Amino acid sequence: MPATKERPKPFVLPEFCKGCGRCISACPKHCISEGTEINPRTGLVPVVLNLEHCNGCGLCIDACPEPYGLRETPVDQDYELLDPEKLFGSRMTDAPEPVDHPDEAVPLAQMEPLVLKGNYASAVGALLAGCRHFFGYPITPSTEGAELMAKLLPKLDGVFLQAVSEVAAVNMMYGCGGAGMRCMTFTSSPGFSLMLEGISYMIGSEVPGVFVDVMRGGPGLGNIAPEQADIKLACRGLGHGNTHAIVLVPSTPQEMLDLTMLAFDLAFKYRNPVVVLSDGYLGQMTGKVTLPAQMVKPGIPAWAVWGDREHRRNLMSSIYLSEPDLEAWNVHLNEKYEAMKVEQRADLFLCDDAEVVLVACNTPSRMAKGAVEALRAQGIKAGLFRPMTLFPFPIDSLKPVLSHARRLVVVEASNGQLEDEVKLALANAGVRDYPEIEHVRHFGGVLPQLEEIVVKVAAGEEVTV
Amino acid sequence: MTTSSFYSRFERHSHGEGLKGHATHYCPGCGHGLAHKYLAEAIDELGIQDRTVAVSPVGCSVFLYYYFDVGNTQAAHGRAPAVAIGHKLANPESIVVSYQGDGDLASIGLAEIVSTAQLGIPISVVFVNNAIYGMTGGQMAPTTLMGQRTATSPDGRSAFMGQPTKMAELISGLDGPVYVERVALFNAKQRNRAKKAIRKALQIQVEGRGFAFVEVLAECPTHLKATPEEAEKWVEEQMLPVFPLGVKKDEVREPWWPTHRPTYDRETVLKTIGGGEEHAPRACKGFPSHVARHDISLKLAGSGGDGAQTAAMLIVRAGINEGFDATHIPAYGPESRGGTSYADVHVADTEVLSPASPKPNVLIAFNAPSLVKFGPDVLPGGTIIYDSSVIHELQPFRAGVKVVGVPMAEIAVGLGKAMVKNIVALGALQAVTEIFPKETFLTAIRQALKDKCALIPLNEEAFAWGIKAVQQVEVA
Ligand code: SF4
Ligand code: SF4
Ligand code: SF4
Repeated sequence: MPATKERPKPFVLPEFCKGCGRCISACPKHCISEGTEINPRTGLVPVVLNLEHCNGCGLCIDACPEPYGLRETPVDQDYELLDPEKLFGSRMTDAPEPVDHPDEAVPLAQMEPLVLKGNYASAVGALLAGCRHFFGYPITPSTEGAELMAKLLPKLDGVFLQAVSEVAAVNMMYGCGGAGMRCMTFTSSPGFSLMLEGISYMIGSEVPGVFVDVMRGGPGLGNIAPEQADIKLACRGLGHGNTHAIVLVPSTPQEMLDLTMLAFDLAFKYRNPVVVLSDGYLGQMTGKVTLPAQMVKPGIPAWAVWGDREHRRNLMSSIYLSEPDLEAWNVHLNEKYEAMKVEQRADLFLCDDAEVVLVACNTPSRMAKGAVEALRAQGIKAGLFRPMTLFPFPIDSLKPVLSHARRLVVVEASNGQLEDEVKLALANAGVRDYPEIEHVRHFGGVLPQLEEIVVKVAAGEEVTV
Repeated sequence: MTTSSFYSRFERHSHGEGLKGHATHYCPGCGHGLAHKYLAEAIDELGIQDRTVAVSPVGCSVFLYYYFDVGNTQAAHGRAPAVAIGHKLANPESIVVSYQGDGDLASIGLAEIVSTAQLGIPISVVFVNNAIYGMTGGQMAPTTLMGQRTATSPDGRSAFMGQPTKMAELISGLDGPVYVERVALFNAKQRNRAKKAIRKALQIQVEGRGFAFVEVLAECPTHLKATPEEAEKWVEEQMLPVFPLGVKKDEVREPWWPTHRPTYDRETVLKTIGGGEEHAPRACKGFPSHVARHDISLKLAGSGGDGAQTAAMLIVRAGINEGFDATHIPAYGPESRGGTSYADVHVADTEVLSPASPKPNVLIAFNAPSLVKFGPDVLPGGTIIYDSSVIHELQPFRAGVKVVGVPMAEIAVGLGKAMVKNIVALGALQAVTEIFPKETFLTAIRQALKDKCALIPLNEEAFAWGIKAVQQVEVA
């Protein structure tokens, strides 16, 4: 059988043999035997080949668990003289260096405003931002967003996938975002809790993705009415490790659209998840929504694990086994969080001369705004400081306001989670001199009402009408 | 053959230094190495290196990405199939492999693997079952055999710890997968089968046929405290009776996986989201400040089928068409499931501040409980419109509140469709308050029904009847 003779025989570089012996029992010709000498470089005992009777059947090679263990003898080469680099190649891969395929902005003509529910507006914003992949699990009061995506995405040849759980959903986002696609989910507080593990991995691997959390009452199952009690999760508790993400806080259906669109840009700009923190009231609220001047046709970023030759060398991973490596990685991430500070956004209403400054976001900021108007009508110089980002907290625009503020009143639907962000931002900015913080708080789905804010503020003022 | 789907140098393995540049991190004789090799060979043979994305799990094979020269993603413990689905849907032409061990797949990731298998989307799963937790140091796995001693079953696995989970059988019992096989590595014949099975699992994905699953019974000599040879024997003699080898499912399924990409075409997107350029005509001469100066607060209250939410939406649409700001917020929660349905609406000249309507200027009450509940809150100078066909007794309201009864339900039934009583109510609202001109309401109604044009005449009629009814009441 001439063919048999042509079959190449095996060879092994002793330092890459772990001496496991699996090849020994695999060889029908008994060509391989246990070694007797410890390899000084590995401390292991490689096998010894005696290929006199070898027929090149290759069974030993199939039995060797090491990629660079037993291999076919290269033809025309004196393998014993070759070093592994020459033998196997000196570079890691022949895959090319990937390049960015940039996003395109597609201009839109001016449209008639739409009349949309907050959750719908957010979904429309996502579509205009070029999101074509949705992964989620239905949870009230966020479901309308998912439902609209389920209806519209197939019309755009996009993907809507209802996962087995929020845990699976966030990991689908990890894969899809890691492939460089713009993907999102709608969820509400209990679901957001479940997604935190995955968000930590996304941050650790620098995978972008947008999470719209339509906050509801808690803890536990709580209820489906609005609350703002996920602020600490979004700002301070995105899973384990040194994590942060930009947190956007809309207060109108219009901002649900605008900030969701912005969220995608920021997610890709920083290669990091972005949280749009909404509330149950806002999710359900219908209002006027004007479409933006342009939509996005996304490209493919250079870093994507897209599944083609160009992106073959890419890796999504959050593992850094050696401590110095992981520390360096954390330093890198921390620098990124620091760089995000330029994304501070706030809306200041009558703050220029305000002596009483209300701080509120989401739906409560609307009541607070109404309260400011009512207080002004009473001759009280009130103003509203409304953060539109909670991480980074817009401290740069709060600081000037403090110079003339006699009172700071935080209005929120949580047990001081917004107030904590205010205090932390002040402390981190080295601001020591500010009025003692007062508050109007509600929980469990009850929102602060305009009148009680007015009463609270007016009670501390000498009003001359 | 020499495989090119392994990196030439394992640079991710301790920065590729020394021996680690060409040796795996696996213990001598570990079955993972063989499964890797067969996977790499299959990728080479099918010519899919440039399309492949490998998802590394958590477990001993966590560093799969050290070795495979393909796109790589490392997943959280148990989540590899979900991550794989994300990749496959992002790029439907990619070939995605989820490589998992027994702790990853059969314990913490059970929900992910079962649901992904049932989804049936073409991905290939290589499941390495060595009956033990390797990475964490030899604890009990869901696949650990009865009586087997591990670090967390020191006296052997007992009934109290449950039976070993037979994943291949479990997965093959689902409708989603197209191919499920269990193979082993303990002798040349089995290795040959393992190789073929892994190749087939990829081939099925390349052809777009569906989800494929290969369970590989593998040796963990380290935690069996055995030589590789003894470990091979252990798999053959101890594991095989519990985990029988063979094809568990091999269904004929035609290629079905669509590989088209999403569209970003402007016109398609605008059509999909319902954006239009034509402007609704305006009929208002200014903000209806006779109802409230800058911000009109309305409440519509009734029970489930009364159409309060739809009517509320139409008021909002009308207000926005006129260039005002308007909001609608439904009362929801258990009470909405109990049959009640309340809608708070605001129309403001510049901006709605508080979208709730605890003290409305206008109340539309579709039933008696709603009127009792909200009637007293209506502000002085405000308006109450109620359905006089169901509400017969009135309680006192604040001074200066205008109260108008319109037989909404009766009119609607007379028109042949009880459902339109909310439109009758809108007609009444228009006639009583003149919040907007008739035309404004009619435009909003037509817009809302643009996909159900046949219903427009009926709704227009209902609206007209609402107006007429108010005129009759006022005359009387
Ligand atoms: S190629 Fe076949 S005969 Fe030769 S050493 Fe290997 S197993 Fe033995
Ligand atoms: S199978 Fe490979 S690693 Fe094991 S003894 Fe043989 S050559 Fe060495
Ligand atoms: S512990 Fe077991 S499974 Fe892990 S590498 Fe070692 S032999 Fe393989």
